[in-house]
Amino acid sequence: MNALIALLGDGHARTLWMLARDLGTTESDVKRQIDYLEHIGMIRKVIGDGVCGSSCSGSCSGSCSGCPSGGSACKGCLPEGGFQNMGQMWELIPQ
Amino acid sequence: MSATIALLGQPNSGKSTVFNALTGLRQHVGNWPGKTVEKKEGTFTRNGKEYAVADLPGSYSLTANSDEEVITRDFIESGKADVVCILADSSQLERSLYMMADYAGINVPSFLVLNMADVAKEQGKTINAAALEEKLGIPVIQISATDSKKYDSFFAAMDRAITQKSVINISGLEAALSKVEGYESIKELIPEGSVKNVSSMWLGVKAIENDKLVVDQLKEALSESTLGQVDALRKTSGGALATGNSKFVWIDELLDGVLEEKKEKVSISKLDKLYLSPVWGKPAVILTILLGLIGSFIPALPLMGVGSAIGALKGPVANALAGAGVSDTLIALICGVIIQSFAYIFQMLGFVFGVLLVFGLLEEVGVMARISYVFDNTMAKLGLQGKSVMPFLVSFGCTMGGAAGSRVIDNWGQKVLTIALAWAVPCGAAWSVIPMLSALFFGPGAVLVIIAILATMLLHMWVTARVFGGKLVKREDRFGMIMELPPYHKPKWGALFRYVLGRTKDTFFRVSKVVLLVCTLFWLLSYSFVPGADPVLFKIGKVIEPVTRVFGMGWKLFMAFIASSVGKEGALGVISALFTDGSFYTAFSDAMSGAARDANLGTLLLANVSKPEALAFIFAITFNMPCVVALAATYQETASAKWTARIAAYYTAGALILSAVVYHIGLLIW
Ligand SMILES: Nc1nc2c(ncn2[C@@H]2O[C@H](COP(=O)(O)OP(=O)(O)OP(=O)(O)O)[C@@H](O)[C@H]2O)c(=O)[nH]1
Repeated sequence: MNALIALLGDGHARTLWMLARDLGTTESDVKRQIDYLEHIGMIRKVIGDGVCGSSCSGSCSGSCSGCPSGGSACKGCLPEGGFQNMGQMWELIPQ
Repeated sequence: MSATIALLGQPNSGKSTVFNALTGLRQHVGNWPGKTVEKKEGTFTRNGKEYAVADLPGSYSLTANSDEEVITRDFIESGKADVVCILADSSQLERSLYMMADYAGINVPSFLVLNMADVAKEQGKTINAAALEEKLGIPVIQISATDSKKYDSFFAAMDRAITQKSVINISGLEAALSKVEGYESIKELIPEGSVKNVSSMWLGVKAIENDKLVVDQLKEALSESTLGQVDALRKTSGGALATGNSKFVWIDELLDGVLEEKKEKVSISKLDKLYLSPVWGKPAVILTILLGLIGSFIPALPLMGVGSAIGALKGPVANALAGAGVSDTLIALICGVIIQSFAYIFQMLGFVFGVLLVFGLLEEVGVMARISYVFDNTMAKLGLQGKSVMPFLVSFGCTMGGAAGSRVIDNWGQKVLTIALAWAVPCGAAWSVIPMLSALFFGPGAVLVIIAILATMLLHMWVTARVFGGKLVKREDRFGMIMELPPYHKPKWGALFRYVLGRTKDTFFRVSKVVLLVCTLFWLLSYSFVPGADPVLFKIGKVIEPVTRVFGMGWKLFMAFIASSVGKEGALGVISALFTDGSFYTAFSDAMSGAARDANLGTLLLANVSKPEALAFIFAITFNMPCVVALAATYQETASAKWTARIAAYYTAGALILSAVVYHIGLLIW
């Protein structure tokens, strides 16, 4: 897992497939490492299944951390229900 | 009670399913004392013996990070369970065996249940449970927990675990752990039996992982000097990263010869070879976006037609109303404001529909996620983090959403710069007004206008990053993001159309309100209630026109530009009100006199606005500040009135300069 973190040091984004290729392993192994790193607080999900756009419906009821609390204005303006299929992103947490 | 069984497993490993299958209705659900975590207990009878079952809360591991994990740990260490049933997911053993690996070293008897046998089989995985049992030293079985008739092997494994008091053989794990710096010395310092029911290996590992409970337990169990030695060793060990590696190494060794699967090839689809290519990725993505925008004109056409048809109603309706003796002012209001506005609104809706459909489709099939990947590295060039890409993409829908989305960026300067750049991204409202006006003035040339706008957007962002970047962001180490791209899949047309139609409807109501309001207001200001007298707005217009001309706009367009700062739709309202030839009398009497004056707004606009002016105006409103709501959101997110004002002033000035430049370029062309 140190290798994975070292790879990210060059500042380039990588997909799971690229990480698997660069680490000489499989995507499921990469996924397991990501699970673990997330669990021990080395990386965090930036935007997951609920990107702000999609979770705006949630934000209006106050559940999305990325959206304004009093987000009444976003209704009818943001693509509500959009951005559902954007995959997930993780970033390194500065230690 | 002959024995208590505790169910242990990661979330979704099937604990509840097993629990329900075992206990049926004989269960009780409550809360763990003092915690909001659900506590599920139950009983079952087998061969005349009664067993108690506790469903422990699901958690990733046994490290005491959360309430769930602390509860689980307390329960196991207290020795309340006679046997622990560890659940793992057969379909992803490499990952889900982690809980077992984390349990290894605890001396409470256990057995391992590899659940989801059906799913693993479907994936073509075969698992040799007997071989794994041999390696682990505890009963191992594979089941489908959902198949409640087939629990015989479960009970057999449970019985064996209870009678044999089977404990996991940790020699393999210890071998892997020996590579962790300091592990062996730490383990030596912790005598066996320091804490009830757990081995010194387990305590050593958890100490290295900085587990709060174990650190406290060691404080009690060890002498001060030993504790000092342990603490020193812990600090220089590799921490949870190192022990995690060892556990995964051990899991892989265990699975060697146990798990047979088709070798997962590290491969990607042809489309991803293109999109993810360092060379072709960017051109491919840009081409996709362009084709998407051009493609969105096609579904827009029918609604464009509806809009024109509504515009054409003005003459006949005016005639009919005049025939019915309705007052001229009212006729002018109905035809000049209401019908005119709706004609615009419907033309615009066509593009809203088209853009939503095309981009909804791109997202649905998985292309949008690739776009965010491709632009990640561009962010670095703008001095931003990779995650800024999402606020930008959201800004294509709504700048306010983009500003709000920038909340994921914790560095204030980066956040302000992200918002400042997000303003340059034309929002949904712009994407409906711009293509419509472009199509009106330039016909098929609208495509070129769109391309020019996209290019200008990139240039604008680049310049803005240079202008504000220096003050806002410091050069710092940048770490790459990890992205899990969704697989490509066929669109669900039903859901997509429902989404697009729903959004188009929302837009219709929102836009109608704004356009009608603005249009009525400006119409009142520009209507000569006293025939012959110049209305207020015209007087003001005449005064400011020499200045507005500098920017390539007549006073009417300039007022529309100002209105666009409130909201892009506002510009349509102003145009709708002002381009009715000032007084509706002329148009009306023309229509009456049978001069067949084309009441189509397109013609009306075309007759009054030259192409360079139109182009200048389109650029001016596109790159003007997005709207008041976005302004408010920017203030809310940046918490700086100074920066909000600075950005707003910058955009207003920028839009006017752009307008002047574009106007002069236009003069060269036409
Ligand atoms: N195909 C299949 N599905 C299963 C099997 N066992 C459980 N499931 C399903 O997997 C899902 C998760 O099962 P649960 O029993 O709720 O898992 P859990 O471990 O209690 O999860 P948490 O309540 O989140 O801790 C449910 O939808 C089950 O129906 C199995 O053997 N095969």
